[in-house]
Amino acid sequence: MSRKKIIAAVAAASLLALTGCGANAGAGNSAAAAGDFPKKGKSIDLIVAFSSGGAVDTAARLIQPVLEKELGTNVEVINKPGAGGQIGYTALTGAKPDGYTIGATGSPSVVVSPLDPARGAKYTRDSFQPLGRQVIDPTVIAVQPDSPYQTLKELLEAVKAKPKSLTASTTGIQTGEHFALAQIQESTGSEFAPVHFSEGASQATTAFLGKHVDVLVANVSDVNDLSKQGKARVLGVMSGDRAPSLPDIPTFKESGYDLTAGTARGYSAPAGLPADVAKKLEAAIEKAIEDPAVVQKMKDLGLQTSYLNGTDYQKFWAGQEDDFKKVLPLVQKKD
Amino acid sequence: METLNELLGGFATAMTWQNLLFAFLGCLLGTIIGVLPGVGPVAGVALLIPLTLNLDPAGSIIMLCAIFYGTQYGGTITSVLLNTPGEASSAITTIDGYAMTKMGRAGAALTLAAVGSFIGGTIATVGLVAAAKPLGEMGLLVGPPEFFALMVVGISLLVALAGKSMVKALISGALGLLISMVGIDPVAGAPRFTFGIDNLMDGVSFVAVIVGVFGLSEILSFRRNEPTPMVHAPGFRQLFPSRTEWRRSAPAMARGTGVGFGLGLIPGMTGSVSSLLSYATEKRFSRFRHQLGKGAVEGVAGPETANNAHANAALIPLFTLGIPASPTIAVLMGAFLQQGLTPGPSLFTEHSEIAWAIIASLFIGNVLLLLLNVPLVGLWTSILRVPTPILTAVILVFMVIGAYTINFSVFDVYVMIGFGLLGLALRNLDIPLAPMVLTLVLGPLMERSLRESLEISQGDFTVFTSRPISAVLIGLGLLIICSPLLKLRKPRALMEDPEA
Repeated sequence: MSRKKIIAAVAAASLLALTGCGANAGAGNSAAAAGDFPKKGKSIDLIVAFSSGGAVDTAARLIQPVLEKELGTNVEVINKPGAGGQIGYTALTGAKPDGYTIGATGSPSVVVSPLDPARGAKYTRDSFQPLGRQVIDPTVIAVQPDSPYQTLKELLEAVKAKPKSLTASTTGIQTGEHFALAQIQESTGSEFAPVHFSEGASQATTAFLGKHVDVLVANVSDVNDLSKQGKARVLGVMSGDRAPSLPDIPTFKESGYDLTAGTARGYSAPAGLPADVAKKLEAAIEKAIEDPAVVQKMKDLGLQTSYLNGTDYQKFWAGQEDDFKKVLPLVQKKD
Repeated sequence: METLNELLGGFATAMTWQNLLFAFLGCLLGTIIGVLPGVGPVAGVALLIPLTLNLDPAGSIIMLCAIFYGTQYGGTITSVLLNTPGEASSAITTIDGYAMTKMGRAGAALTLAAVGSFIGGTIATVGLVAAAKPLGEMGLLVGPPEFFALMVVGISLLVALAGKSMVKALISGALGLLISMVGIDPVAGAPRFTFGIDNLMDGVSFVAVIVGVFGLSEILSFRRNEPTPMVHAPGFRQLFPSRTEWRRSAPAMARGTGVGFGLGLIPGMTGSVSSLLSYATEKRFSRFRHQLGKGAVEGVAGPETANNAHANAALIPLFTLGIPASPTIAVLMGAFLQQGLTPGPSLFTEHSEIAWAIIASLFIGNVLLLLLNVPLVGLWTSILRVPTPILTAVILVFMVIGAYTINFSVFDVYVMIGFGLLGLALRNLDIPLAPMVLTLVLGPLMERSLRESLEISQGDFTVFTSRPISAVLIGLGLLIICSPLLKLRKPRALMEDPEA
């Protein structure tokens, strides 16, 4: 009796060992194996540098099934949140460029962390190989539903008169939201007191809903539902045109402030992928992003799909870099 | 009344044979995943999502929920039998669970854990049905300052976990805090205590640490305590708790339900915080607190009830506000979205039928888990009949696989071994391990909420005392910290108590 059980236990253990090893088998010969990428049974890690439940994570989880179908292997979404994306990006760029590790990348976070030497980022923009852009999600400013401020102008004038009198959420130091606050400060003189919720948008939204911060700085997709339920009063969208999901909310420009800001999100690999692996991944990612069901679900979440291929996504990053360099001193830690 | 009707409708959907099968499969898979050290609920649910993608929305979510709380139970089994937690929220159960096993009460411990899990889970689900909305909103009252104050209460319970020497408990607690600080500074983004080792950028893996500190150090200390400890499989009659054990567990389960349910409502809390605080609560309030650590049933019943109450209560913010309160719930939320269901208030208006079917399935799943696990207690405990050398070898293999599979990294195996050695050293110095686990879990949450609070107040520390909820909590924390000092003045009779 007991012998049978021992055998069963050992068999179970070795089975596990096999599956565990199977997942990493052949990690060493990436250059030679490019032709048969991805190997059967070897899963691809998709690193999300923000906590689960946020917009980046949701998008990654939406494309995951299509990616799996296109590539014919498992794709696992792995969350590595913290430090405004830096922890996840460090893991992504530190991974072997063999195609088995890819990541969701959001700019400005990817662009700006390396700009500030104080952050000790181990990567630069060139450490990433962009594979495709999925969306641009404009930044919005929202206040509590019972707030006295009815328009953007009222809010910004009030803060200008009394700097740092209102707290405003960001998703971490030097993230898109933080830069948006810097842009507002630079061009209008209205200075908010930033509160950095480094674990991401879901944490910031929770704190806003509990009225622990006055102003929610977020993306269109974060406030879509809140606005419909009357839990947030959105005062302005920082984009060229009104957001289709928030047709009644004026843009900053309409309110007299010529400012645009937003997060662009897509997918990247560590730099140095073999060309045919990159091509395969790029094609699969394009398919997944443009998949009609995915596009519809993104739309339901208030996200406008705007695909760019790897090369154009990279050019887009370069343009953003120039913009952010201008306001960088405003978001750097002074102490 | 309307609610009841909708719930009954939900039961009708959940009770179809397909959905019952999915719930059963989920419970079974979840239990198995929980048993494997290292593969916790997050990884388990994420790994199994692809399995459920082709099911209809109700079936798929029912199965995933069952997997989710199945893991909470499975984690207990190895904690009790092998002193190796299967997942983080069962780490604390090792202390009394394994002590019970050494006394030949493994079966009783597992049965009590199963019943406690059932009670905690079921009561929390009743809470979800009855008062989801106001409870969800209440969780929002806990902002960064209140969260920090809660963490102060948690850390103050170090006193309760101290054992014989407060100094040794503080050493253990400080060690945990230090370890929790390794990695990239979560706010400023600069690396801390990484010594230039890239693998440490993410911090030290919590599961690798607890598997090492509890499990490996236990095995390493076998040889020192010759002869090998008397761990033996219980006979049939010993499989079930005695009447005294039931009677003693009941209040612990009640307290565990309260702790788990309350903390489960708060976004950002994890199940391991609930089980740790439940243990500390027992250490403080149980009539048998001096027996804790030596195989007291309260140390198993309390935390195991708490983590299941937590798991179910954590669904309340998801269902009512669309907020994923913990990493596992966030993975679940991903599955909701893939099925075209957006969690939040609109779930009940737009997909009412599915929402209620899922809630009904939580009740069913809890019953299934009980039916599944109590009869299996005999099977699990028979693991102990395996001769010690072989069992030890198998456990070692499991621990290495478990540590490796957290991130598929050999580095985590070294971490596990390193912490095994540390655990051995601490045991030899008679330093308690529980305070270290407590600070390891609470440290990062405490740091984050402290920094957020000070940003909200722009550096003003009175933010913690000027807000009523946080002021009360901070006061409570201080009271707990000071209570041993007050005890010093009590009559000698109390002082003579060996543990006081």
